[in-house]
Amino acid sequence: MMLESIQTSLSLFQPEIVLCATVLAAILVDLIFRRRPVIVAGTVIAGLIVTAVLVGAEVGVRARIFSGMYVLDPFAHFFKFVILGSALLIVLFSLASKELKTAPKRLGEYYMLLASMTLGMVLMTGASNLLMMYLALELTSISSYIVTGFTREARDSSEASLKYVIYGAVSSGLMLYGFSILFGLTGTLGIYELNQSLLSMPSINWTALLIAGVLALAGFGYKISAVPFHFWTPDVYQGAPVTITAFLSVASKAGGFAMLMRFLKVTFIDLASSTQLASGIWAMMQGINWPLLLAVVSVATMVVGNFVAIWQDNLKRLLAYSSIAHAGYMLMGLVVMSNQGFAAVLIYFVAYLFMNLGAFYVVMLVANETGSESIEEYRGLGYRTPLVGVSMAIFLFSLTGIPPTFGFIGKLYLFAALVNQQWIWLAIVGVLNSVVSLYYYMRIVRNMFLKEVDGRKPLVPISIPVPSAVLLIFLVIPTLGLFLYFGPLVDVAQAAVSMFGF
Amino acid sequence: MDFVDIIFVVFALIVVVSAFIVVFSRSIIRSAFSLLFTFFGVAGLYVLLNADFLAVTQVLIYVGGILILILFGVMLTTNVVSVEIKTGTLQTVPAAVIVAVLSGTIAGIFWFTEWHTAPAREGPTTKALGTLFMTDYLLPFEIASILLLVALIGAAMIARHERGTEGGR
Repeated sequence: MMLESIQTSLSLFQPEIVLCATVLAAILVDLIFRRRPVIVAGTVIAGLIVTAVLVGAEVGVRARIFSGMYVLDPFAHFFKFVILGSALLIVLFSLASKELKTAPKRLGEYYMLLASMTLGMVLMTGASNLLMMYLALELTSISSYIVTGFTREARDSSEASLKYVIYGAVSSGLMLYGFSILFGLTGTLGIYELNQSLLSMPSINWTALLIAGVLALAGFGYKISAVPFHFWTPDVYQGAPVTITAFLSVASKAGGFAMLMRFLKVTFIDLASSTQLASGIWAMMQGINWPLLLAVVSVATMVVGNFVAIWQDNLKRLLAYSSIAHAGYMLMGLVVMSNQGFAAVLIYFVAYLFMNLGAFYVVMLVANETGSESIEEYRGLGYRTPLVGVSMAIFLFSLTGIPPTFGFIGKLYLFAALVNQQWIWLAIVGVLNSVVSLYYYMRIVRNMFLKEVDGRKPLVPISIPVPSAVLLIFLVIPTLGLFLYFGPLVDVAQAAVSMFGF
Repeated sequence: MDFVDIIFVVFALIVVVSAFIVVFSRSIIRSAFSLLFTFFGVAGLYVLLNADFLAVTQVLIYVGGILILILFGVMLTTNVVSVEIKTGTLQTVPAAVIVAVLSGTIAGIFWFTEWHTAPAREGPTTKALGTLFMTDYLLPFEIASILLLVALIGAAMIARHERGTEGGR
């Protein structure tokens, strides 16, 4: 009986098994082919592709496996594709990075850790038990602590790694404390069972539940770098190798958001009083005003991210604050507690994947040549290397949310979801924040195109190898193209909001 | 107050007092030895809760393994005995207020909440735990081993001594 259920679970767990095997294979390959990190990278790429294919074969399956530890549903599949896609791009970025080449001996382990980080994130999307959620989060975090300090010789990098460990330890401690209160109230760890148990209780101590919820939010908030759990973000993003910064800013956030959305919806939904469930709006349990709590966090996150970004001259740090701001925008989609809001977050993630990875890729290409991420290096870039300059401008327009880019579509759906649910004031705050973000994004564009170039100095172009140029164009095409042709993607996202059981 | 309650209070006091010494002591050696009592006290609490396996593991791993390693680390590090631990105190008043409010809330929660309680389990728990690891908790058990593997490799990667310039050895 038990054996059969484990066998069924295993057959549905194939993508993750392949990813585990990729981690192990990367270790072995690194041992066999010493000092040939490219082979390890190839192994990881192959593993990621096979995983993605297997996830693709599972699309449409809904199941709860391993005694309720893990679920498969369209929601998880969507996020798995986002995570695997960005992991694949990051491995390709890493192959072109010069910064990583300073430590060739450790490069094999680097790719292995990328794979284990991806595994952790993939597990985050489907975890449906508090214990599993914690383990997945910790697997992601521990792998990221190590790769953050990868360029150990650089002082920034070690410092970033240590700060990351300390903040991470504190917030996962807070989260575990919150989970323990939830367990103490209900005697169960599965989020579906938690929901039933909370609903069937004659009386709940709401203060206890509120404290548990807020503490749990600390763990999730840390992963998505929401204010006030964002303090690690700028230092870690600046100190880590650019590839890792890009990966953390997209995939790690995707995992965190997937887990937070599932946790909030499944644990705190009140099915009995959700009269409009068919139309995609659900009621939350009484007691904790989640929408207001999330709205406050979202506004704080947007404001802090955008306003501090104005003063940054280091592009990595600037993009770090901008990624905090983007977490704030996406949190707005959670506030409304409707399918429309969740779909908007999913759409936004696809846009964010291309534009943010693209911006970081340009930062990496420029740093490859100049060894610096200062905004001064971008002076006249639009004339020196038009391909890079124009691509960067497109990514920045998209991050601001200006047409004709996909970032605009993403923001449009977010604001539409807010307005539909009468969250007008939040939508206005969001729009105003986008205006602020326009300032610092355009500062870079202005540096690239409008700043007077010193005529006496020759314009030194940045040499871009052909594969890097191809990859850059590959990132630009969806950023622009999905603005015109977003219908199918929106349909996919709207279908993907459905979670197991709902 | 019956006998079990008295034993609980004794163990709880051991844990809390020694934990305070760990945090507030200025000598790192004293902190490390104080940790010994904290770990033992926690093991005692586990015994009190009929969690025999957990108690033994606590003693074996924390006292026997981790603590000894910490002590070795402390003793083998040169200059550690005389090192001054910098513990600055900033913003004392706001911190005190926040801590007071937080601990008040948490204490209130523990006092007034109706916790979900399960009857104590009689007899040895090792077999039941082992069965659960291989059935209901199979996935977390396996993922935890991957986590440990990653942590091990990461620790080795960070600690590995690289002589001279990269590439030469």
